[in-house]
Amino acid sequence: MKNIIGLFMVLSLLVILPTVEIVFAAGDEPEQYIDRRVEIWNLFFRMMTVAFVVGAVVSGTLIWLIWRFRESHPKATPTKYEGTSELDR
Amino acid sequence: MSGHSNWPEWVYIGVVVALLAWVGAEAWNIERIVEHVPENAEVIKVTGQQWFWTFEHADGTVEKGELHVKKGVPYKFEVTSKDVIHSFNIPDYLVLMDAVPGRINTVWFLPVDEGEYPIQCREYCGLIHYNMRGTLYVEGGA
Amino acid sequence: MVLELQRPRPIWQIMFSTHHTDIGLLYTIMSVAFLFMGGALALAIRVEMFAPGPQFIADSMTYNRIFTVHGTNMIFLFLLPFASAVGNYFVPIMVRYKDMAYPKLNAIAFWMIPPAAALIWLGFADFGWYAQPPYSMISAPSPAAEMWIFGLKILGVSSILGAINFIVTILKCKHPDLPLSKVPLLGWSFLSSSLIVLVAIPTFAAALLMLLTDRLGVTGFFNPALGGDPIAYSHLFWFTFHPEVYVLVIPAIGMMYEIIPRFSRKPIFSHSSGMFAFILLSIVSFASWAHHMFATGMSFTEKTVFMVGTLAAVPASAMHVFNFLATMWGGRAKYSAPMMWSVGGIALFFSAGAGGVVNTAMPLDFITHDSYWVVGHFHLFVFGTIAFGSFGFLYYMFPFITGRMYNELWGKVHFVLVLIGAVLVFFTQHILGLYGMPRRVFDYPPFPEWIAMNQIQAVGAVLLGVGMTIFLVNLIYSSAKGKEANMEDPFGLGGKYYYPYQAKNPHHD
Repeated sequence: MKNIIGLFMVLSLLVILPTVEIVFAAGDEPEQYIDRRVEIWNLFFRMMTVAFVVGAVVSGTLIWLIWRFRESHPKATPTKYEGTSELDR
Repeated sequence: MSGHSNWPEWVYIGVVVALLAWVGAEAWNIERIVEHVPENAEVIKVTGQQWFWTFEHADGTVEKGELHVKKGVPYKFEVTSKDVIHSFNIPDYLVLMDAVPGRINTVWFLPVDEGEYPIQCREYCGLIHYNMRGTLYVEGGA
Repeated sequence: MVLELQRPRPIWQIMFSTHHTDIGLLYTIMSVAFLFMGGALALAIRVEMFAPGPQFIADSMTYNRIFTVHGTNMIFLFLLPFASAVGNYFVPIMVRYKDMAYPKLNAIAFWMIPPAAALIWLGFADFGWYAQPPYSMISAPSPAAEMWIFGLKILGVSSILGAINFIVTILKCKHPDLPLSKVPLLGWSFLSSSLIVLVAIPTFAAALLMLLTDRLGVTGFFNPALGGDPIAYSHLFWFTFHPEVYVLVIPAIGMMYEIIPRFSRKPIFSHSSGMFAFILLSIVSFASWAHHMFATGMSFTEKTVFMVGTLAAVPASAMHVFNFLATMWGGRAKYSAPMMWSVGGIALFFSAGAGGVVNTAMPLDFITHDSYWVVGHFHLFVFGTIAFGSFGFLYYMFPFITGRMYNELWGKVHFVLVLIGAVLVFFTQHILGLYGMPRRVFDYPPFPEWIAMNQIQAVGAVLLGVGMTIFLVNLIYSSAKGKEANMEDPFGLGGKYYYPYQAKNPHHD
């Protein structure tokens, strides 16, 4: 858990630093115009990296939960709510 | 019923909010950069109508369905429509701006690579919306 | 006693009834019928788009009408009425009341829908489900456009009447011993979505009226030649329809809140988180509408405000995902069809939301706006999340409505086919959008990548069609000839579970 948070923080830093560099680098003189394709696609791929990492965590967790807590798992034990008259809401 | 002391949920929400804040900040920054129109950008008036594009250069030349620009020169498009809403789109250069009758929308770009690139309409405008196309020709810098 | 009586009753008795279970049944049958009609249109679209050039649809006007009616039908004649079906069946039971607050009004709200549906289907308008002016004002042919406008007017009124009924039933008719905080989350989902409807729909009613008078030439609200602004319509439309998409998703999440804890054999991880997330989402949903308009020439500041408003809605949805995952943890889950559909829905919910975050990052909208990415994104929500949750819930309700069990194996086959089909169609659409293909196009240039991705989608669409046909056959056959269900515990979950619709349950009189 702590590793994941650490990973996120490192990733965030790695993407913020190049951005800050670009901000101060762009100008109005010829040959210093920004290429919108580069800026936008870069942002897109950085976001895709984060989205897929988060997606892998979420779907990995979901798949593990489905596998581990299915009723046919060898270690499956009844929950403490089974046999009671009401799902405690 | 679980109370408010479930720390995993709070950590999770903290991570989600941090990620979203990062997304927002990055997007804000890149948008700011992308929207900054260079002072000496050459103006091209773009008019959409059912179902073709007309381009008027700064020197008065008019082109229909094709647009010739020079590599390395920044251009600012002033986009409008004569009838319904269209959307001026050069996908290879990520130029996209709605052509709305009664207003002029602005978008700029820098043609970096020579070649031919498709121009298309990105807002449903009726019968021939699917074929409201043109071609951008980027020619070697003069 | 089940939700629906096992002994046959004359059909007119059900049709003229004002009892909530009968009206729930009417909504169920009607919405599922429209699901299949709209699905047929979708299949036509995807098969037509298999390759460049016309395949079997002769002209673009026909194609434009097909995608317009497909969208309009699916949202207004399937998703919304199906949610009303579930609400009608369960809300009175969940608040321990005998019926909805206004039973006759309930029946009227239902019966307004078939005439509206006739107007929409017979009109077959061509301007996309947004009806954006100036196209819908000066270019769209009559009488299709007027019929669509009147049809939607009627549906809007029906929605508002239904919302009033749900709100009064939940807040005023609930049993005195039942605190609001103990109403099940499915009940809360109807309270939230009904409150949104009440605030959001009147704006669209105004927009429709203005569009009609503009078409008639009486006014110029959206006509620049008369001093109007087409973008005003966009604001009015999206002010309604962004919150409206939450009206669509919130009941489906509520349905998952019924299925996932029950089939995991443990209670929801945090009932209070679920309540809080629904209320938060209802409020924040009003802060993001203009993210649909980023390409219309909005200023940087305006776009930023709506980007922040959009992002602000994400944590509430994330809370629901956490709640479901935490509920499954430590459970002993039975993966009958309802559970498979609900869990599959959660997985696709995440990918839908992630795609949405990309759209709202302002510069990325230059890539995705009005391209197939958007089509893939919203279909992952309406199909991947809402329809998945709805199908799962329909399987769940089945024994209680009919007294029989559906065929479980075919229910699972349906799930697998539809999951694969949905991934093939909707994930591919995201990539196709990145390659620049616009939406609402009858034909496309023969770019090899576009052709390949359209062909993948056509295959996926056929799988979806096969899966949904299996579903239809399962529903119809099992209603008549299915094995009789064990009404104490139709799904074999064991133990004494709280099925809120059993006569022996003291909560329902």
